[in-house]
Amino acid sequence: MSIMRLKNTPNWLLLLVLTVAMTACGDTVVVGDNASNGAIDNGGGQPGSPIVTPPSNVDPDAGPETPAAAPDTGDFNAGNLNPADVAAARFLTQATFGPSADTIAEFRRYGSIEAWINWQASLPVSTTKDYTEENSNGSLRGPRHHGWWNNVMDEPDQLRQRMAFALSQLFVISDVDYALGNAQYGVTDYYDMLARGSLGNFRTLLEDVTLHPAMGVYLSMVRNEKANVEKNIRPDENYAREVMQLFTLGLFELNMRGEAIPIGNPKPTYTQNDVEEFARVFTGWNYPNVRSWTDNNLTNAAYEGRMVANENFHDKGAKNLLRGTVAPAGLSAQEDISLALDNLFQHPNVPPFIAKHFIQRFTTSNPTPEYVERVAQAFVNNGSGVRGDLQAVITAVLTDEEARNGHLTLTNFGKLKEPVMRWSQLWRALDATPGPSAGGVHATADYPMEQLDSMTGQAVLRSKSVFNFYLPDNPLSAGATLTSPEMQIMSEANLAATHNNWHHQVYRFNNRSNLSDDNPRVTIINLAPLVDIAGNRNALLDWYNLHLFAGGMPTDMRETLFRFASSYPTNSQGRFELVQDTLFLILTTPQIQWQR
Amino acid sequence: MAALIMAKPNFQKQRRKLLKQLAAVPLGSGVSMLTGTDALAMGCDGGAKSLVCLFMAGGADSFNMFVPGSNQGYSDYLESRGEIAIPESGLLNVSDADQGAFGFNALLPAFKTLYDQKRMTVVSNVGTLIRPTTQSDYLAEQALPESLFAHNTQQKLWQTGAGIVSGTSSFGWGGAITEHAVTCNGPSAITPAFSIAGSNPWLDAADSRYISLNADFAVERMYGLDNISEWIPSTRLSRVGNTLEDLIAQGEASGNPAMLRTISSGIDRATVATASLHAALLRNTLPQMRYDSRNKLAKQLHLVARLIAAREELGMTRQVFFVLMGGFDTHSNQGVREPLLMQELNAAVGAYQDTIDDIGASNSVTTFTASDFGRTLTSNGNGTDHGWGGHNFVFGGAVDGGRVVGEMPSYRRNNNPDDAGEDDGSFAGRIIPKLSVNQYGATLSRWMGVDETAIQAALPDLQNFAVRDLGFMKA
Repeated sequence: MSIMRLKNTPNWLLLLVLTVAMTACGDTVVVGDNASNGAIDNGGGQPGSPIVTPPSNVDPDAGPETPAAAPDTGDFNAGNLNPADVAAARFLTQATFGPSADTIAEFRRYGSIEAWINWQASLPVSTTKDYTEENSNGSLRGPRHHGWWNNVMDEPDQLRQRMAFALSQLFVISDVDYALGNAQYGVTDYYDMLARGSLGNFRTLLEDVTLHPAMGVYLSMVRNEKANVEKNIRPDENYAREVMQLFTLGLFELNMRGEAIPIGNPKPTYTQNDVEEFARVFTGWNYPNVRSWTDNNLTNAAYEGRMVANENFHDKGAKNLLRGTVAPAGLSAQEDISLALDNLFQHPNVPPFIAKHFIQRFTTSNPTPEYVERVAQAFVNNGSGVRGDLQAVITAVLTDEEARNGHLTLTNFGKLKEPVMRWSQLWRALDATPGPSAGGVHATADYPMEQLDSMTGQAVLRSKSVFNFYLPDNPLSAGATLTSPEMQIMSEANLAATHNNWHHQVYRFNNRSNLSDDNPRVTIINLAPLVDIAGNRNALLDWYNLHLFAGGMPTDMRETLFRFASSYPTNSQGRFELVQDTLFLILTTPQIQWQR
Repeated sequence: MAALIMAKPNFQKQRRKLLKQLAAVPLGSGVSMLTGTDALAMGCDGGAKSLVCLFMAGGADSFNMFVPGSNQGYSDYLESRGEIAIPESGLLNVSDADQGAFGFNALLPAFKTLYDQKRMTVVSNVGTLIRPTTQSDYLAEQALPESLFAHNTQQKLWQTGAGIVSGTSSFGWGGAITEHAVTCNGPSAITPAFSIAGSNPWLDAADSRYISLNADFAVERMYGLDNISEWIPSTRLSRVGNTLEDLIAQGEASGNPAMLRTISSGIDRATVATASLHAALLRNTLPQMRYDSRNKLAKQLHLVARLIAAREELGMTRQVFFVLMGGFDTHSNQGVREPLLMQELNAAVGAYQDTIDDIGASNSVTTFTASDFGRTLTSNGNGTDHGWGGHNFVFGGAVDGGRVVGEMPSYRRNNNPDDAGEDDGSFAGRIIPKLSVNQYGATLSRWMGVDETAIQAALPDLQNFAVRDLGFMKA
């Protein structure tokens, strides 16, 4: 087949066209080397983006050419930011999808992190299933991303959404495979469940996760049967293994500091026999809303809510749980699950294991053992004697002395920003809006949101396996002792694609772009507030520093940018060009990627 | 090199410019920078060679890819596997001169063809081992690899050849081959190791890097650098590019924290690699490789074939590649999923090997499979669980093929001597490997010309095995 390259058509749109065409043609064979007219080419036959004639970028409605900010004195200064604003921006970078002028002011009104968290916890939960039901037949995969991006861009329950996203990287399901790909209502039902439970109790959420049909499909617990000697079959071990390895305990026994013990020769947390015993626990669960154990008429409703027990397929024998606990014979499927999840929940590994997960998702890749221990203590006891209170855990993560001052005291404190955060931070700071023909749906300059993982290795609930987008102990570089989970997906290809995306975003898709000859579905950033202040180079750099670096822009970088900015005229066009060039530079530097 | 890495920012920038100049100039000759006896002594002779690791992620059910014949335990296989067994009608018969009859899964006809052409060898029951291990060793927990049956650990141990994750050898044996390749290639702008499937331990090395590409999109040059942009007016473009290079160099400065330096050097490498590869790929087109565009493995292998076609221009007399096919963790619905996996794998391997043959690289490209582990012989109702040993496949014109290397394991349901488990009536059929990843990796490393000292350093447990070369590569 041959699809002519359409001038002015972005690659991702072409890809959609191609995908649709191929679906329609069945087993179409494309000739790989000649496919350079589509984005599927891997051969480098063309630059990655269509060539579109650049508009002049002159704003026809430009007002009088007087800069709004104080005139540039010409002298470099190291920054003139309000320390309270910086503290707010830094906190909001850790705890939300990115600070903006509004949220910085809002945070300051609450006065303390605890007060802000209490307010956040009181907000209505933003969800994705309703949007998905309105816009997808259950198989169409874009809408859940569109709803999710609208939430993280615009809705106020930011901490809850960050928690849900962090939980989706712990209790991982993914719809890259067809099984869940065609169950979009179930997938969003699962995500919304995480959001609702994200500031509640871990034990409750663990059971909700275990019994959700989307998880049942993903880790094949649904319709897991007791052993049948005649047929030589035994229970499926998938969920039993991963709930221990990935959701609660990890491979080795831990102390409260998160260190594997005994140090130097750690003891495995469980054995293969334990996996087999737990596999027997997790037998006898079926989809909801089906007529029989084997009913294959699975509607959308079969993937939502909670699996239902069928005692005929549940192993009723006694099971040896961990640390000497025995589930006696004769228990129901639900009773066994309750006992087994209690057994896991009470395991001493859970507090440090979960503490470290949230620390790594919010503040730093390499916490000190003391930081882990303090957060683990909050898991053990929220102050009122309750174990597993996730609001207490995240409060401990964010209020900890190391979270607040680690950037001043620890050389490698911080983390590589997750790809999703790089878009959300820029877009929230610059009041980005969906393109004029996008129907209220966000899109990057090169890919729709549901394909963000193609470019970056990350999109919500689209990891390649239950091991998430990256491993918690991924070394910063080969052989390094420092870890950086996010570094695992920072490949040369992803770096180049992301870099070029920023180029297109800044130069093609901004508030002055003439989209009649470019793609009107791409999200537009609003540079006007920056153009207003760009007559004063220090003020412009202060804005970048506050919103995109949380006050951490290195001084040598500021000096370089200040010098760079010296040659632009101060009229509206000159200021616009200065903003474009400096913003592009900033977005593509290494410095912006390190969240301190 | 260490001195350069520690250099000051402006020196870094000069280094990058030098590398870009290197990248821009075709090295042309296509032969090693080393010649004659030097090359021979260093294992760089014999023309260009490329080695490709095809990782079947999730734990491939290789017991259903290659099945014992009637004299090799097919009836045992049927009894153990039950409903998930491949019936005789689903097998393509082949034979081994010493061991007798076998069958390839009928959905792998490209494998059978390569085997019949004596260009594929089946390596039987290979897996992670610290030393030869028996059932009683397993039950006594003697010298077992760490965290058996866990995906991520077993992937890492397969790719590093180590028995424990945090041991002395946390680098990959592919990384050791890369370091050798760097020595053979001489000065080159970019490292001759490529992952088309993201981060992996196999290519990790102490003194070399690998380039991670994405088969889903073109190798793009980076806009704003090297005066590339349709959108930034030329009056501003070079200043933007130069300033960005300054800022990257500032990030790489030696006094900076490791986090910042690592991010910065990653960006630096990406700028050099994309510029160099973009140019080389443009100048080296490939005979058409036909594949279904939904076949993700084929896409990756297509990019591998392109990079092999460009190896002379890139100045690479040795190249190392990592590709990955996911979806093999067939705990459930195996009856539906396994055939789809076999078809995708077969189509990708067939089209790719045809392409390699078309460009005249048949004898200088070797591809081998690897996986987390084999799967249980028994079924959990409609799938299989995590096992240990499994069969793997090595193919290419340099392979001494049409053979099965290593003994088939026992497939018996009762009193199976190769089972990792107690004989307590709960037989799962997790098969203890008889051959080690160390032996497998050493054989492939030696073909690439890595010397014995480096092989031993990369695969330290090799010394625990009497046979250190499995003999499946032609001399």
